[in-house]
Amino acid sequence: MNAPLTRILYVEDEPDIQMIARLALETLGGFTLEVCSSGKEALAKITAFQPQLILLDVMMPGMDGPTTLSKLRELPAFSTTPTIFMTAKVQPGEVMGYKQIGAVDVIPKPFDPMTLSNQVLEIWAHCHG
Amino acid sequence: MADIGDLTAKIQMLSGVYAAQLPEKIAQIEQLWQQIPPERWDEEGFQTLHRRVHSLTGSGKTFGFAALSDLARVIEYDLSLLMQVKVPPNQAQRTHLEGLISELHQVILDPTASQPDHSGVIAIMPPIQEAIKIRHILIVDDDISFAENLSNQLRYFGYDTRVFNTLSEFIQAINQNTEVLVIMDISFPGDTWGGVTTMQQVQQGQKNPMPVIFLSAQDDFNARLEAVRAGSIAYFNKALNVSRLLDKLDELTSIQVNTPYRVLIVDDSPTLTAYYTAILKQAGVHSYSVNDPLTMMEPLLEFEPDLILIDMYMPGCNGMELAKVIRQIDKFVSIPIVFLSGEKDLDKQLAAIDLGGDDFLTKPIQPQHLVTSVTSRIRRSLMLRSFMVRDSLTGLLNHTAIKDQLDREVARSKRQGTPCCFAMIDIDFFKKVNDTYGHAAGDRVIKSLSRLLKQRLREVDAVGRYGGEEFAVILSDTNSATAIKVLDKIREDFSRLNHFADKTEFSVTFSCGVADVLNFNDATRLCNAADKALYQAKHHGRNQVVGAHPELPPSLAPKIG
Repeated sequence: MNAPLTRILYVEDEPDIQMIARLALETLGGFTLEVCSSGKEALAKITAFQPQLILLDVMMPGMDGPTTLSKLRELPAFSTTPTIFMTAKVQPGEVMGYKQIGAVDVIPKPFDPMTLSNQVLEIWAHCHG
Repeated sequence: MADIGDLTAKIQMLSGVYAAQLPEKIAQIEQLWQQIPPERWDEEGFQTLHRRVHSLTGSGKTFGFAALSDLARVIEYDLSLLMQVKVPPNQAQRTHLEGLISELHQVILDPTASQPDHSGVIAIMPPIQEAIKIRHILIVDDDISFAENLSNQLRYFGYDTRVFNTLSEFIQAINQNTEVLVIMDISFPGDTWGGVTTMQQVQQGQKNPMPVIFLSAQDDFNARLEAVRAGSIAYFNKALNVSRLLDKLDELTSIQVNTPYRVLIVDDSPTLTAYYTAILKQAGVHSYSVNDPLTMMEPLLEFEPDLILIDMYMPGCNGMELAKVIRQIDKFVSIPIVFLSGEKDLDKQLAAIDLGGDDFLTKPIQPQHLVTSVTSRIRRSLMLRSFMVRDSLTGLLNHTAIKDQLDREVARSKRQGTPCCFAMIDIDFFKKVNDTYGHAAGDRVIKSLSRLLKQRLREVDAVGRYGGEEFAVILSDTNSATAIKVLDKIREDFSRLNHFADKTEFSVTFSCGVADVLNFNDATRLCNAADKALYQAKHHGRNQVVGAHPELPPSLAPKIG
């Protein structure tokens, strides 16, 4: 296994979801989190933050999750950074679709704040296993 | 690792903020919907609306509004269908969507209303059901003698009652009373549904609906339905069977806010034990964590858990070995043990169960699964334990259990030099009750005496069913003068109780003998002395309480049957 997971870039446009995810991931999970409210902000901040993992909301105004991912992938340093989509639409076919465009997994919304960080850790362990 | 209690508080605070914003969010959705022109396709309008609804789908459940997420998902799906065809909705579709959108207001009023799916949602558990606190029982009935009689009967069982013979008196009094339960007749003179309509009005002004039990001479479906709509928790026909009513009251008031269940968690990962602790805490379960299995002995004995959760693989000593060790301690022979493990191999699970585990939870463990598995096992184990020591008809300690208890109390009393009384109670002419009114009536008499004893004696006193119609009571830290006084009051009240069989009423008395450990200093002698005193009470005409004298001559000692 690689270095333990500590740094997560989290892209989500909704302030209330941002807050509860921050609690779940920072306070409960102990991760270092950079929260971005849009794909544009993520592109601007990612190089300075150097995340090990990216959590990406699918449906955002302006640049949506998949578009944000493809832009992030264009940056050589983050062409392979594991990325998890978060979405309220999880049909089995869609999960496949997200994986095909480069996501390692999908976390369905609404998520449970008590288990979110465990879910993230499991996926992390999986993609390094 | 963060403080879990603190985290829970923060989550709750965020949920509160979210809840406060919901009405406005929903109003915005309604507004967006109304702004969409009926005659042409408005792509931008639908996109905005869809996004707003989608955001509710994705957030509601996280903040405890599961029903909101579910409903929003339905709306979102309908909107997405429309957006595929890009044709303005027809009248039927509009009405349908409008109905769904207006329902959004409903589901946020009562977030727990529909939660078809609890899986994974534990963050905001509904509060644990507590017993209703009843300070007063308000009896509202125009039949003056019936109401007075019922009031007296309930008073014997320690309930504080007030009687109202008109609805207007009741309405005037209701606002000054909290923690009340209402027993309400359905019909009043000149107003067939007076009781129901009055209750419906009263309930409207209440933050929490008042528990109400309706009484009615008629047993038709309509009456029952109206009663339910007025918040009834029970419905009884007249002629009222008081003993059934009392059962109901006991059930409501004594869903004993039991001492919380206790779980010992043994897992070498502090993160996981903290996680399990948090989950169990939300469900009202106390837990104690041990991260080094080799140090579990002391907490095991001191914490006295109701159940033990053990991680299968730990350094130093594995879960199976630990279970064996625990099982070899007498006290924990029957304690439920649940293994936690990533093990999916059925053979290994069976082996673990064979070695003394009761269940196997596979990691990662769903919070709800953990809670259910733990609480159901504890409940069952406590129930089994109670079957071993409780009498099935009355729920009192059985003969063996009360004698064991007496041994312990006598030892304690001698050690501390405190008094302790033992009383034997025998229902007078019980055979005649059975022969005249039938065994079912006899059983009810036994139950009513056991209920009276339980209600009137203290928590620390032990009450047992010694045999057929014979009861035994241990009053700790009580001298014989006090014990006689207390029991005599109970005797007097018991003799005033009305018992029912078919349409007849009858009353029953008991005799009682009391002995103090200060005069008879071992359990056997104490028992014999109480028995002799009981015989004296019978001999002197029954329906009385007699204290044992240490100098009682042996000639007066023949046993009675």
